[in-house]
Amino acid sequence: MMDMDALQQEINRDRRAFIKKVLRGTIAGSLLLVIPAGAMDLAGVPEQIPGMRDETGPFITGKKFAFVVDITRCIGCGSCCVADRNEYQVPEGNYRTWVERYIIDDHDNVYVDSPNGGLDGYQEPRTDIPYPVRDTFFVPKLCNMCEKPSCVQVCPVGATFQTEDGFVLIDQKRCVACGYCVQACPYSVRFINPKTKTADKCTWCYHRVRKGLLPACVNVCPVQARKFGDLNDHESEVYKILHLPHVVSVLKPDMGNKPSLHYVGLRREVV
Amino acid sequence: MQPDYTSKYNAHLIRIIVVLVVLAVVGIVVRAMVLPESFGLYGHYRADAIQDEINRPIRNGTNASCLACHPYIRQMHLEGVHRTVSCEFCHGPVADHVRDGQVIALLPKKQGDEIRTLCLRCHNRIIRARPRESIKMISMPRHLEEKHVRTDHICNQCHNVHAPLMWVKQAREIVGIREDKS
Repeated sequence: MMDMDALQQEINRDRRAFIKKVLRGTIAGSLLLVIPAGAMDLAGVPEQIPGMRDETGPFITGKKFAFVVDITRCIGCGSCCVADRNEYQVPEGNYRTWVERYIIDDHDNVYVDSPNGGLDGYQEPRTDIPYPVRDTFFVPKLCNMCEKPSCVQVCPVGATFQTEDGFVLIDQKRCVACGYCVQACPYSVRFINPKTKTADKCTWCYHRVRKGLLPACVNVCPVQARKFGDLNDHESEVYKILHLPHVVSVLKPDMGNKPSLHYVGLRREVV
Repeated sequence: MQPDYTSKYNAHLIRIIVVLVVLAVVGIVVRAMVLPESFGLYGHYRADAIQDEINRPIRNGTNASCLACHPYIRQMHLEGVHRTVSCEFCHGPVADHVRDGQVIALLPKKQGDEIRTLCLRCHNRIIRARPRESIKMISMPRHLEEKHVRTDHICNQCHNVHAPLMWVKQAREIVGIREDKS
């Protein structure tokens, strides 16, 4: 009889310990869900775009952002691609931004490659070009943030949209991954993200911009080949580039999408 | 006595109206059930999707966020020619290192051949697409041969990765080395 009591006590103690463990696990688990995993805190990080942290409305007011890529400066290091991969953790084989290498020989043949989207940089030269090279340069690609976006027009469920401040974004909860927008984009910047099973593309780091930081790729570019700024501010670098004499163009102007992404030093061979 | 037809016509009308009303009510109810709450507030999309996008976690900081806690590196990095190079390009995103003001993990330091690969991402002369005037280009292993060092040397044996010319300049001052311009 004494033995049975001891046994019962033992079982009770174990049960209590078990319940305690489960409760602790549950609380810790739910805390992990509440605290966003892998985010940094902004305290102590100075604003790179002045005044953005004071904006509380649904849209950015008084600013019209433009993106300028200077291909005469790009050295093809792939910093931008690395930063982008770190920021969004897009599965391998998918690229929100990438860097293409153009080589034009003296017979005017154009060779374009982008091994792993430029993510590993360009370590090897191309050896398969039979003629002397006339011109060679890098072209970073990203969302053109069109003023007339064809991806928005074709979306059947209203999952991709243009905000009043000019950003084209994707509603990850609403997208059904039909892929119409992937086909409609003239610049091939969209893809179906295998992890989220939705359409995905470069957003010009909308979440960073709204918190006063530059897009991740602009922030890391060591040679300032990528520039991001406000066209309403006449002192900004992007305003000066687009309003003073420069060799400036957009990709595929004949598509009529009116991109907000401009290229300095763009050659006619680039598509 | 004339037969009363009006009531029959009314019955037809009422039937049609009832069907239309039922259809409209079903339509409105189904629409309300299917459409998300904030859909159509600003346009043909869910207005809350903007806030969802804003709430995406920021994983890359700025160089300022890294250098705030690393004063020794700060001085070297900002005085050297690599001051425009992002910390996170070589070390990884700050979100993997610090959370809520606490260090949660150490970022890996690049070692050995990884360093050479990293340096050559920018400084490899053999990749011809680079504009020559913007940064210094070298050819490997020619650069090592010219400097009369073993060809298995790693870049960071002569160059501090944060300030590439710091040790080179110090060595010149100490020993008074004069290098050929070639």
